[in-house]
Amino acid sequence: MSAVATYFRNIREAALTVFDGMSVSLSYLFRKPITVQYPDRTPEPILDMVPEGYRGILDVKTETCTACMACMRNCPVQCINIVVEKVGDPPKRMMTHFAINVAKCMFCGLCSESCPTGAIHHTKEFEGASNEFNDLVRFFVDEPVLPYKPPKKEKPKADKPKADTPKADTSAAAKQTADETAADKPVEPAAAPKKTETDGEPT
Amino acid sequence: MPEEFAISGPDNMLLNMGPQHPSTHGVIRFVLDTDGEVVTKATPVVGYLHRGIEKIATEMTYAQFMPITDRLDYVASMCGNLAWCEAVERMAGIEIPRRAQFLRVIATELNRISSHLVAVGSFCNDVGGVTPLVVALREREAINDLLEMLSGARLTYNYMRLGGVSRDMTDQFKRQTLEFLDHFPPALDEFNRLITGNKIFVERLANIAVVTPEDAKAYGLNGPNLRGSGIEFDLRRNEPYAVYPELDFKVCTGEGFRGQLGDAYDRYMVRINEMYESIKIVRQCLEMVPDGEIKGKVPRVLKVPAGERYTRTESARGEMGIYIVSNGGKTPYRVRVRTSSYSALSIFEKLSRGLMIADLVVVIGSFDIVAPEIDR
Amino acid sequence: MRFFADSLIETWPLFEGWPPWLVYGLVMFAFGALLLFGFVSLFAGIVTVVERRIAARMQFRVGPNRVGIQGCLQWLADGIKNFTKEDLTPAGASKLLYLFSPYLVFTGLFLAFVALPFGQALVISDLNVGIFYILAVTSFVTVGLVLAGWASNNKWSLLGGIRSAAQIVSYEIPIGLSVLTVVLMAGTLSTQGIIERQGWAPWDWFVFANPFAFIAFFIFFTSTLAEGNRVPFDLPEAESELVAGYNVEYSGMRFVFFFFAEYANLFVMGAMTSLLFFGGWNSPFNWTIDLFGLFPAPLEISGTLVFMAKALGFVVVIIWLRWTLPRLRVDQLMVVCWQYLTPIAFVCMLGTAFWMIGTHRWDALDYVKYPIFLLGVFLVLAMAARAVRNIRRVGDPVDLNPFQ
Repeated sequence: MSAVATYFRNIREAALTVFDGMSVSLSYLFRKPITVQYPDRTPEPILDMVPEGYRGILDVKTETCTACMACMRNCPVQCINIVVEKVGDPPKRMMTHFAINVAKCMFCGLCSESCPTGAIHHTKEFEGASNEFNDLVRFFVDEPVLPYKPPKKEKPKADKPKADTPKADTSAAAKQTADETAADKPVEPAAAPKKTETDGEPT
Repeated sequence: MPEEFAISGPDNMLLNMGPQHPSTHGVIRFVLDTDGEVVTKATPVVGYLHRGIEKIATEMTYAQFMPITDRLDYVASMCGNLAWCEAVERMAGIEIPRRAQFLRVIATELNRISSHLVAVGSFCNDVGGVTPLVVALREREAINDLLEMLSGARLTYNYMRLGGVSRDMTDQFKRQTLEFLDHFPPALDEFNRLITGNKIFVERLANIAVVTPEDAKAYGLNGPNLRGSGIEFDLRRNEPYAVYPELDFKVCTGEGFRGQLGDAYDRYMVRINEMYESIKIVRQCLEMVPDGEIKGKVPRVLKVPAGERYTRTESARGEMGIYIVSNGGKTPYRVRVRTSSYSALSIFEKLSRGLMIADLVVVIGSFDIVAPEIDR
Repeated sequence: MRFFADSLIETWPLFEGWPPWLVYGLVMFAFGALLLFGFVSLFAGIVTVVERRIAARMQFRVGPNRVGIQGCLQWLADGIKNFTKEDLTPAGASKLLYLFSPYLVFTGLFLAFVALPFGQALVISDLNVGIFYILAVTSFVTVGLVLAGWASNNKWSLLGGIRSAAQIVSYEIPIGLSVLTVVLMAGTLSTQGIIERQGWAPWDWFVFANPFAFIAFFIFFTSTLAEGNRVPFDLPEAESELVAGYNVEYSGMRFVFFFFAEYANLFVMGAMTSLLFFGGWNSPFNWTIDLFGLFPAPLEISGTLVFMAKALGFVVVIIWLRWTLPRLRVDQLMVVCWQYLTPIAFVCMLGTAFWMIGTHRWDALDYVKYPIFLLGVFLVLAMAARAVRNIRRVGDPVDLNPFQ
């Protein structure tokens, strides 16, 4: 194409595309804004605007906690701290300490998924800011509490293939390492030889 | 001053496009050796966002590492999840139910759209038009809401689990996704009329940072960067995984739309076209998704058999490859993540010779470089 | 102005026996001070809020709406915030130049208001070289920007300052040529004269008078955007590349000087466009107000209102362009100026000269203004129609209410 034709084509293209772009932004001027003016001019109360199942700050219902410590083991950042020891008169296994460090928590949901009774769960609350750093650790047990013992016939509330049976709960209560041998029980026997077949295949 | 930062020539000046800069997407530092406006040499300095993710992986179990893979590339975190799931599941031989496969693909493709929107929007912001950024983010809000409904979080979804996904989709999700899919292509057309066709934008992008196909292969580019040079290579087509073999979509390549083949405009257009293709994929998946389980059978503490394996998937930015070395224990022995932004940064110095400072911003944006992927 | 001064001497007993030149001087000074520190600063403040609201609505946001009714006092909050900031001078900066350059920019811009006519009798000084004076005085800004860039001891701001020097100096040429087009048609450089040669009706404005003037309007508008460092020519202060360019090291009130100078320049741009091409204060109405019998004759305000409306309309167009277009790179900017705008502006000027010779001979050439006016109306309607079509096609953003 000759230089003159390119010259005029550039001018024409510039004018047309600028005109088109300006009409688009003019049309934006007359559409509804999508801003939600948080926190004082929201259309509905703030916690209603968050969907169900939102992974907010954690909460623990200590009445249903079996002190299995599955949440503590599964947490990637170790923000849950549970202490179970023999206290009282006569001595009984009781939960004396249940603390969640909300500053460390990354709201991933692994703890609430592994909880057999749903005691630890996410609320919809997300406004947890505070002026004191120490306020960010939440304590859920003030005085020693008996862990919950679900009746043996009751099915676990959470629906997971690797859900613990009540039997496995009480056996793994006090020690972490005991759980490893118990964990291998629900595995299908057929899975074991399959694993060795795909062994060490670099691609 | 380190030797590689020495200026070449008495008239040159050393300029620091420092870690805090509005256009380097994240904290990356470039040391520029310029002759006025024209850059003679640009050296990237990385490591400002290093979080030791690969080291963290050696101290966590395979299931516990899942939320950390969100943060490998936090703009496209479902893709990180999928990469880890594919890597561990193939190595351990875990079966995944069909419904879970489809849900994974739906989530990944929606996340691909939202990642491309961020890439395209922030690129337009760097070139000067602020409105396209906000318009792109407005569309991304809808996807954020959808994925929030699905997984419970807005950025680091942690949606997938070894063996499936964590939650099932509801009818409301399906209905609202279809609503979004109907709304999005005309909105993207309007976005194109606002900025993609604009003559000033084309002039800023065309014929800048041309990457020849040979160079693209030599420097190991992947994803939209590679496809922008005309090479038709997409891991979803060439090494398919999940349900991609059953889906019908086009692999978008650059064709020299407004300039040479492989320039910044081509890479930009590849991303825009990929968004249209992802819409098609999500629509097909929503029609084809069967009923069934969403989690396969996985032992509570998974032990991957000893050995090593490299698995790669197509993330929004390119290839995300995870290399796991296992010694049969609960935690991996070594995890190495290969991301595409790192390869894209390697070609940066070659391309930046002779460009003006304003063009450097175009180069960074067109390669869609994000800092978390480079530094992990 | 002279009329008011005379009437002041006659009616107020305070000014009995004063020499007329002193009264004139004081009236000028008072009017000038009122104008600059009242109107211009207020305008510059309010237009920042207006720009932010318009920008926000174009981006589906709401913009500042908390301080004052609908955010109209946001500029006051910003001003107070900037006022209370620490006044930093970077280490190694040339202190005198660093402190002096905001004032140069400020002065250059505000001096332009002297020749802007706000009404038939409302101009600070009806210079007979009015337009030439405005163009000359706005070049002070260049000196100020380059000084700011150099004196900040920062390579990024130096780049910004040098870019802006190249840009502003180059774009003086197309501006000058397109202004010459109008001056040829008006026969005078004085701003009042140019306005008086146009009529109140749209087809009597200079922009529609002949096709060359129509093109000259677009060239003038583009060049005046470049003079004011507005998008698409805002490379000297490109936020994403140079991190605010030449004013990156300034904080507090000095930064406010630069900032307000840029926004006051918006008004100068709009006012110049409206007075050169769009008829200025010509209006079909004749509204007057009687200022409590202070002046012997009622003050005509319809012209002022019309002028302000036209100038503000162009300010809105400039804001609209800023939030639509990306920015040009420095060498592309130069290409646009020297290869596109300057030759076309030359052609327009010569064409207008020949056109004027032609209208002496063939009266029919005068009637070309009607079709060109219809072309202008068509362009405006086409823009509105496209906007409506956009809204119909895409509609409002998708609102995924989680409780539907």
